[in-house]
Amino acid sequence: MSAVKSSAESQDVIVIEKLNKWYGNFHVLKDIDLRVKKGERIVICGPSGSGKSTTIRCINRLEEFQEGSLIVDGVEMIDDVKNIEMIRRDVGMVFQHFNLFPHLTILENLTLGPIWVQKKPKAEAEAIAMKYLERVKIPDQADKYPGQLSGGQQQRVAIARSLCMNPNIMLFDEPTSALDPEMIKEVLDVMVELAEEGMTMICVTHEMGFAKKVADRVIFMDAGQIVEENNPEDFFNNPQNERTQLFLSQILGH
Amino acid sequence: MKEFQPLPARPAPVKTVGAVAWMRENLFSSIPNTLTSLALLAALIYFIPPIIDWAFISANWTGTTEDACVKEGACWVFVNAWSYQFFYGTYPAEEIWRINAMIVLLLIVIAASFTLPKHYRLKVSIAGWLALPVIGVAVLYGGFAGLDVVSTDLWGGFTLNVFMAAASIIVAFPFSFLWALGRRSQMPFIRSISVIFIEFFRGVPVLSLFFMGSVMLPLFFAEGTNVDKLVRVWLVLIFFMSGYMAEVFRGGFAAVPSGQYEAADSVGLSYWQKILLIILPQVIKISMPNILATFVMLFKNTTFLLIIGIPEVVQTLQSALSNSYWLGGHALEGYLFVFFVFWVSCFSMSLLASRIERQMNTEKRD
Repeated sequence: MSAVKSSAESQDVIVIEKLNKWYGNFHVLKDIDLRVKKGERIVICGPSGSGKSTTIRCINRLEEFQEGSLIVDGVEMIDDVKNIEMIRRDVGMVFQHFNLFPHLTILENLTLGPIWVQKKPKAEAEAIAMKYLERVKIPDQADKYPGQLSGGQQQRVAIARSLCMNPNIMLFDEPTSALDPEMIKEVLDVMVELAEEGMTMICVTHEMGFAKKVADRVIFMDAGQIVEENNPEDFFNNPQNERTQLFLSQILGH
Repeated sequence: MKEFQPLPARPAPVKTVGAVAWMRENLFSSIPNTLTSLALLAALIYFIPPIIDWAFISANWTGTTEDACVKEGACWVFVNAWSYQFFYGTYPAEEIWRINAMIVLLLIVIAASFTLPKHYRLKVSIAGWLALPVIGVAVLYGGFAGLDVVSTDLWGGFTLNVFMAAASIIVAFPFSFLWALGRRSQMPFIRSISVIFIEFFRGVPVLSLFFMGSVMLPLFFAEGTNVDKLVRVWLVLIFFMSGYMAEVFRGGFAAVPSGQYEAADSVGLSYWQKILLIILPQVIKISMPNILATFVMLFKNTTFLLIIGIPEVVQTLQSALSNSYWLGGHALEGYLFVFFVFWVSCFSMSLLASRIERQMNTEKRD
């Protein structure tokens, strides 16, 4: 049961079936079905409280769910600590509020995972960290503390921190929602680059320009359900569901 | 295209900075404020000179007996003559170097925790703090390597207060951390045990705990075993302290944003890695003022040991006051001396703590 891998699913790195979640008596996720292929870029949008963040937080077990099944890279998400750790090592996550560790320098933030989880020697971990800091274009900030960086820089560090663990899948939970307008672009640029390199990505975001540019599929959620999913072109130009139309007219209306 | 040039910064207007502006704003801003300032100034002028006169100018500084106190000011001769007992109790004079050596060792460990290079500071200072009580007890008690045994009923004075406080803080610190973790645990059994422990030791007066430690605790030990009185009191201090500190830590845990736990999880850290590498450093930083307050409280509480007859500094002072050669009424000088040594120690602890806070403050932009 613990590690299921069948040939039919080998293309799908994430398989979510009939996922249901309740907070107490409140039904937050209702029968979520989602399959993500390797290298696929998915954007999830929807009004606040629609369950989009909760859905992706289930994927690396920041939230538990009560019904349904979730398989990441052939490993089934069950209560077993081993499975949870295996999945978390495989999945990187970037948060709305960056969540860098404020008592560690940028470099220490990046080397923490490689040293303590992957047991790499310090020098190797630092080399990896510097490589990714260069990729997000802030190698000169390595010895500073997160509090000394701008929001956009912090979010780029957070992306680099996830990449240091060499994940197969990246989850983005509203990565630009807490940023000043001038800094959104520098973060989106890094994400676009990542997408172009073929990283499997699931992004919860309201950056519709980003969705049009990189997404293979856009998913619209409301009231804990997947209302509509389609390729970006059809999603934006020809939404099928009334609720989707209303949402798009609200956010694109001005 | 026009180029954007920010305006250069100008100094603040003269009237808002400097001593005169400060006084105008803080002392004489309104009629009631002015009256209060003048009244306080008058009170200072009236009271300060007599106090200075008593404590310094007409005070008696030299001599060894009460007869030397001829001037009408303070009789510091009393404090001077008893200073050995105040500091070391009845510890044998030829073995005093042991106490002094341990004090120096304590200061070295404190200094090392602040000045060593960052990449091995933490390891060295944790090792130092853990070794300190063991070395301290061994050296002070003796009985090995040619050191004579100095029985614990000879220990006393202010150094005993310091020793008891340090020995219980060092042990209580990790314990209280575990209790606080236990109280946050999802496991009902561990959580209830922690809640019961914490609430018991926070809810009963420390004096009654000391009595219990010296009178009732022996009943629980097997017959014939005689556990040293200091050890019993030490256990009481540890339990008492960890009850309080656990709540201080719990506040710190609650104040660490949940995003930190989530980020640590998503990086893939295990539970203990997450707690020790990510959460604990932030908890200590957040709780530093309260940790210090608890330390100071415990340190001052060691004077309560006098009521169960342990010759700490206040107990020693009282026996000095009732000594038949010193019946001239030197309580004021004696207690001022005790105030002074405690205040100096506690104030140094605050200075240290604010230094730690500054060292841990990583928010500041450079």
